[in-house]
Amino acid sequence: MQPSKIRACALPLLALLVTLSPCHLVNLSTYAGALSPIVIGCKQDVEGQVLAEIMAQLLEDRGFAVERRYSLGGTLICFEALKRRSIDIYPEYSGTVEQAILQLPGRVSHAQMREELGRRFRLEMLDFFGFSNTYALAMSRGTVERLGLKRISDLTPHPELRFGFSNEFLNRDDGWVGLAKVYGLSARPVGMEHALTYAAIHERKLDITDAYSTDGDLKKFDLVLLEDDRHFFPAYLAMPLVRAELDDSVKRVLEELAGKMTQDEMQRLNQSVQEKKSLHDVAAQFLRSKGLLTGLQPSSRPETAVERSIDWPFLFRCALTHLKLTILALLAGMVVAIPLGALVHRLGPVSRPILYVAGVLQTIPSIALLAFMIPIFGIGAKPAVAALFLYSLLPILNNTATALLSIDPVLRKVSIGMGLTPWQRLRYIELPLAAPTILAGIKTAAVINIGTATLAAFIGAGGLGEPIVTGLALNDPGLILQGAVPAALLAVVTELVFELLQRVVVPRHLLQKATE
Amino acid sequence: MPDIVFQGVSKSYGKEAALQDVTVAFADGVTTAVVGPSGSGKSTLLQLINGLVRPTAGTVQVFGKPIDYSRLPHLRGQIGYAVQGTGLFPHLTVEKNITLLARLVGWNAERIRRRAQELMERVGLPWTFASRYPHQLSGGQQQRVGLCRAMMLQPKLFLLDEPFGALDPITRNEIQEEFLRLQQSEPRTIVLVTHDLREALRLAQRLIILERGRIAQHGPGEEIVNEPANEFVRHFFQTRLKA
Repeated sequence: MQPSKIRACALPLLALLVTLSPCHLVNLSTYAGALSPIVIGCKQDVEGQVLAEIMAQLLEDRGFAVERRYSLGGTLICFEALKRRSIDIYPEYSGTVEQAILQLPGRVSHAQMREELGRRFRLEMLDFFGFSNTYALAMSRGTVERLGLKRISDLTPHPELRFGFSNEFLNRDDGWVGLAKVYGLSARPVGMEHALTYAAIHERKLDITDAYSTDGDLKKFDLVLLEDDRHFFPAYLAMPLVRAELDDSVKRVLEELAGKMTQDEMQRLNQSVQEKKSLHDVAAQFLRSKGLLTGLQPSSRPETAVERSIDWPFLFRCALTHLKLTILALLAGMVVAIPLGALVHRLGPVSRPILYVAGVLQTIPSIALLAFMIPIFGIGAKPAVAALFLYSLLPILNNTATALLSIDPVLRKVSIGMGLTPWQRLRYIELPLAAPTILAGIKTAAVINIGTATLAAFIGAGGLGEPIVTGLALNDPGLILQGAVPAALLAVVTELVFELLQRVVVPRHLLQKATE
Repeated sequence: MPDIVFQGVSKSYGKEAALQDVTVAFADGVTTAVVGPSGSGKSTLLQLINGLVRPTAGTVQVFGKPIDYSRLPHLRGQIGYAVQGTGLFPHLTVEKNITLLARLVGWNAERIRRRAQELMERVGLPWTFASRYPHQLSGGQQQRVGLCRAMMLQPKLFLLDEPFGALDPITRNEIQEEFLRLQQSEPRTIVLVTHDLREALRLAQRLIILERGRIAQHGPGEEIVNEPANEFVRHFFQTRLKA
């Protein structure tokens, strides 16, 4: 947890604005530079967090300072963060590097991948942990033993088996479509939600489904994986992806993990976390069992979001961060969008493109917009505020322009005819008349921002998205609600605050007119 | 030179000609009413005077100089302007509506208050109305506030575009009387656009009769009544005064 959050927590809500200064945000992201700890990131899935935590504790054991930036939202965001040197290390898979990052056609050797990564991004793949988390076909142990199945090719003489796949797997060329071709399978699988397929097999409603080969739930439901004997699925070998200029001493420590984890072991580690053991304990236990801990350094007990009972101070800090991100973005949005709206109104049709651009910004999916911000701002609060700022532009801009356009033409004529300058008209007549509608636009932007800000956790900005993201990774509805309920409450409170503001700022008879 | 002089002024909107080659000097210190059927160019003529409309051809001279279209707010500040439906700003109180211009040109508070009180008294509005909003007033009261606002800076020139058009007959009668009283106490050059010939004859010393963008006749009211210049004017008076 950043010290800035703790500091902010001690302040009363009214002092919030003071802490919103830009330099405060800079502190947040350059904090790493001052003490130069090694920054470890990971995606929001359980396995990524387990691997990151294992690396973190191993490095701490060898005397390195480590900063954890977990639950970054997916490959794109982790990779952008690493590319921009906002993080130093994150766990990645060979298949992902090959297909999503390097986007190389066909299969390439690991040596080629290493060369490309170094040349194009100055990144380095360290030695593989040992297991591969690839697609696989899973069946119940009972069925496998009854029919004597071992390999996927053994399925060909059993057209009576019932196949059920996640929709993504069902429709991908590197999923069922290709698999059926390579193995000559003629089954007609049904598509269903992945979370339900294991339970369906367990209840004997289904025989075969797709799985990730290290999924902890495989153990829980006692499922067995069939061997991919024709090597259809690409290997997803896990390894630390690091920036090339990282100190050799760090790389050497991480390579002690090379080949230390089998598929079975990884399944077990994932299962432990999914069964609500703490990330810290699971990682520590693994390192001890492999004899990798020297015990020379006292192991830190990091404050992670993996808390099992409601942690009120943590939630309060999240809510404060959430508010900070939202308010800062909203203020910036107002400062830019209201004058821009007045400009759009003044310039007339010429300026329509401004509205179109703002409209297009609004349609960019939140997580993509957040990802676009990383190359410019790195990870943390800055890119989140920038993205939220862009989202707040359209409602405010649109309402300002529309409100100004819909002012009674008689009033416009009179204000011109009586000799007011354009600026005086705007200041004394048009903006006050447009105020109720502009305020409504600001309210819309604020509510949108509070919702969207939950995604800011994906780029390490914290906020109420932090418990939501962690809860999603751990499939823990309680934890998700700990973030979702306060976020919803915050949105409701924002609505009320704006209603109150409207009552104070706008004369009642104008309010009625505006809502008619 | 008279305050308002039109020289060969034409105005067309696209192909449509609203005014054609109008040359006229408005008499100083009296009220001139502009009348004519709808679409004859009355409002266009009025709005040419404060630059809301720019001529397609010819020049409009106000206060002895051709209008400088780059300094319109300055010119308009010296011209009172009131329109039908009052055009009061709904977000401002009566007092703020009346005094807006004076505050913007930097009159001191005392002078502003004195002038506002004096005007409201003269049009028969109690000072207690000062803090009300326009929507809390009747149509006639709003119209009076509109007049006060237009006269706040003691303009030498006063443009009225159908100012009493939307009022009931009794209220209109009252306001017309107040208008005459005001004009007596502070005489100025007034241009009044109206579709009501009786109102024109009552309030104005001189009339301009417009026929499809051209001046059909210009002169004192009585003269026009007695000696219509052509068949159009005669017919116009006949039909408009009969009812």
